[in-house]
Amino acid sequence: MQSQILTWITFLPLIGMAVILLMPKTSMNAIKGVSLAATFVTMVLGTWLYFSGFEQRSLAEIQAARAGGDILGAQFVQRFDWIDSIGVQYYIGIDGLSVALVWLTTVLLFVGVVASLGIEKAGKAYYALLLMLEVGILGVFVSLDLFLFYVFWEVMLLPMYFLIGIWGGPRREYAAIKFFLYTLAGSVLMLVAIVALRLDSGTFSIPRLTELAISGKLMGASLPAHGALLGMDFTTWVFWFLFVGFAIKVPVWPFHTWLPDAHVEAPTPISVILAGILLKLGGYGMLRACFPLAPDAFHESAFALGVLGVISIVYGAFVALGQSDFKKMVAYSSVSHMGYVLLGMAAFTEWGMEGAVLQMFNHGTSSAALFLIVGVVYDRAHHRDLNGFGGLSQLMPRYWALTTLGFFAALGLPGLAGFVSEAMTLVGAFQAADTRFQVLVLLSTLGIVFTAAFLLYAMQRVFLGKKNAKYEGIEEINAREVFCQAPFLFLCVLFGILPYLLLDWMHPSVQNLINILKVQG
Amino acid sequence: MSNPYLEGLASIAPEIVLTVTALAALVFDLVVKGRESVRVGYLSLAGLAATAWFLFGQWGVESHMAYGMVSVDQFGNFFKLFTVAALAVVVLYVMHDRRERTSGVGEYYFLLLGAAIGIFFMVSTNNLLLMVLGFELLSLSSYSLAGFHKGNRKSAEASMKYVIFGGLSTGIMVYGISLLYGLTGTIDLSLMATSPNLVAQVGSNPIPFGIATVLILAGFAYKISLAPFHFWTPDVYEGAPTPVTTFLAVASKAAGFGALLRFLAALFLGQGATALGGYGERVALMLGLLAAITMTLGNFAALRQSSLKRMLAYSSIAHAGYVVVGIACMTREGFSAAMYYLAAYYFMNLGAFGFLVYFEGVTGSDTIDSLKGMGFKAPLISIIMVAFLVSLTGLPPTVGFYGKYLLFVEGVDEGLLWLVMIAALNSVVSLFYYLRVAKALFLEKPAEQDAAPAPVLTGFVTVLGLATVGFGLYVAPLESWATRSLDLIRGVAGS
Repeated sequence: MQSQILTWITFLPLIGMAVILLMPKTSMNAIKGVSLAATFVTMVLGTWLYFSGFEQRSLAEIQAARAGGDILGAQFVQRFDWIDSIGVQYYIGIDGLSVALVWLTTVLLFVGVVASLGIEKAGKAYYALLLMLEVGILGVFVSLDLFLFYVFWEVMLLPMYFLIGIWGGPRREYAAIKFFLYTLAGSVLMLVAIVALRLDSGTFSIPRLTELAISGKLMGASLPAHGALLGMDFTTWVFWFLFVGFAIKVPVWPFHTWLPDAHVEAPTPISVILAGILLKLGGYGMLRACFPLAPDAFHESAFALGVLGVISIVYGAFVALGQSDFKKMVAYSSVSHMGYVLLGMAAFTEWGMEGAVLQMFNHGTSSAALFLIVGVVYDRAHHRDLNGFGGLSQLMPRYWALTTLGFFAALGLPGLAGFVSEAMTLVGAFQAADTRFQVLVLLSTLGIVFTAAFLLYAMQRVFLGKKNAKYEGIEEINAREVFCQAPFLFLCVLFGILPYLLLDWMHPSVQNLINILKVQG
Repeated sequence: MSNPYLEGLASIAPEIVLTVTALAALVFDLVVKGRESVRVGYLSLAGLAATAWFLFGQWGVESHMAYGMVSVDQFGNFFKLFTVAALAVVVLYVMHDRRERTSGVGEYYFLLLGAAIGIFFMVSTNNLLLMVLGFELLSLSSYSLAGFHKGNRKSAEASMKYVIFGGLSTGIMVYGISLLYGLTGTIDLSLMATSPNLVAQVGSNPIPFGIATVLILAGFAYKISLAPFHFWTPDVYEGAPTPVTTFLAVASKAAGFGALLRFLAALFLGQGATALGGYGERVALMLGLLAAITMTLGNFAALRQSSLKRMLAYSSIAHAGYVVVGIACMTREGFSAAMYYLAAYYFMNLGAFGFLVYFEGVTGSDTIDSLKGMGFKAPLISIIMVAFLVSLTGLPPTVGFYGKYLLFVEGVDEGLLWLVMIAALNSVVSLFYYLRVAKALFLEKPAEQDAAPAPVLTGFVTVLGLATVGFGLYVAPLESWATRSLDLIRGVAGS
């Protein structure tokens, strides 16, 4: 069982989904019970995996593994043939990059189910789709075969489309289809790149492709015309096709426009999952299946990526400042926060890379908390207009306290998780070999100022000031809502004080990745 | 039993069984005087089952009878088996089409079976004359089927358009064949490719051969509705009764592809590959351009349709474009990818049309608007429909995705990266209109109207849905069948 733990974690939700589909739709409580049980067991397994199952290896050990042909030093590997004729394998495993995100996924989905308990409309379908979504997300994080990776990547789309489209807000149909079209447009480009990589190398295995790429054997030599497309050489277009596919998911400016729509229309638990984990798939994908497969093109375009990252940071925060919709503001803040991830990765220094990976996790917890916070007030007031409240701190003091914590975590206050990772990416970017990055860091500090501004301005409008008589009898945050937020806020504090609880896991793998990418340079 | 002619008859046993069934259906209908046509339907199903039995008996057999007129091989067998399966599904749809009368429609089955006989001969001959005969038998039956609802203006219009376009394009094709005959002195494809006359002619002046090829391809392009020979398709598909549309869009179109693949394989892939090799590339480029135009046009036209039936018609045009990507590779691998995609196309389109048959019966309309909120009233068939839509878009884990993947691989491998890019972007466009169906079903408020259950129809559509997803997860059987079938085309086998 232990060697197959990843398969269990990935497909347990699928079992839950099958059970739900066989149940009559009238027995809502049983359906909720099954969803809770399935996600809870998955979470327990995920937590065990993170804290106990996953063996922290030193860089030396990973390098020893690399000498033995295992370039990533992946653990819990399972590998057997799936589609013989084209060499697709069921090849899964985790390393320091993915283990934390797998854990975060299992936690988020469990909380997502708890936060969904209030949803009554067509509940059977809702929980079935939610569990299917979890299978897709976990599958992407554990896949080490590019084809398998792509299959899981696409499996996520349909449930998300329906979750936004059926249970969303007034413009849900527009938002759902926009989300789907954007992501698919990115992923068909990915598919073309995957096909090209396969033809050039004869394999789908990500570790193997990485090895070939860094030894300069993945240059399109076995393709007609050396795989050139519209004047771009093979590695360049493969890199950009993969990058755009992932950048849409992150989302990096200028591919971000689906995100505010999707967030505003999605029901709270779906927003939480979307911001908390779906966006990380983009950043993770870049580290796993984009940069290592085209290292030359990555180094060539690093500065351009850094610029995109900074634009995302500053633009996201600036636009958030102008929002009057609470949720839209949080959505734009995600664009801004994910910009640090790209900036850190592009800088290609130890601190930058590690900060980026850490930032992905920390944004997962803090944005999840923020969306839950928005959900609380929306459930009561049925609107999210930041100007329509006022003085809520007197009416809902406990809610206010939690919100303050969440806001400060997002704002990057020292002592909370966001600070560590943002500081690391900025310092890392400052150390970059390319000195132009120092200008980028300087510019991105604008983003920090804007972030502080929009959060505090929102805080002032919603919680401070004169009491709004309309909300005199508003109900204080209830136990279920606190239960949902508590884990995320706790993690924000915990990893703010003890970041090594994440870094120790990530560090060797990030180091290894840097060494891999350095080979060409 | 030493008479070679009689022995040869054994190898066309499936065709004979089908012919006997067709005649029996006609006579039986006369005997029962049009009452309870459903019984004729059962008779047809029994006949199709017997035909399938004989086809399985010919698995892997290769023989040629009547002086090479009919070639029995795995390639023909592939298309024949799919035709039988598709026809059985269509017969079931006719029997469960609530808009159809229950009596006086016996000819329906006769015409469908007649069309199938045409397909059988079309895909199992190297003889261009017999191919044209099969083509015509299929076309004549299809014309009558398209106009089966005599009182219905749209149906009559569809039939008329179909006859005019069909007659014209067959004429063009036969003219092309006559030119080719003049150049080679034979109408047997397998001999044609190695004909010294032809090689010499192409060497000195390729224009006559070029004209002949283009004219013949125009005839095929009409049958598989490639742009710019597709104008009849939407009108005919919309006007014809839905089961007939299913037949035309699935079985008839795939048969056209079957004949086209055999034609191209014999001329440009077999022994002819070396002699006419250079010319094959030009034909491939032409096909590639047609494919690009076809899928773009089909997809963009489908975006604007309000009728689901018409939308599926345009979508089937777009899918023909995808298949041609594989053909434009002009390699065996490309052809087998095209065949895999055709197999995928059978499953997902038969299913999608089955859904349409059901909902036309429920709402009496074929518009996408009439489906609003019906997903909650008939959840099973609607969820299965979503699987078909996903597969038509080409998303995993479905048979349509794997088919598209194979086409992309072969395209990139043959330097058709531009065409693959166009195909990939086209699937994004197609998502938009496929999702409109899913949106109408599930994203609207639950409908007022109740959907009367149709267990048999739903059951069949479910089976097709399971196949669509199942073959997407476990692709080996279908893929190896497609590859093996191609290996056994006469003339290609040795190469």
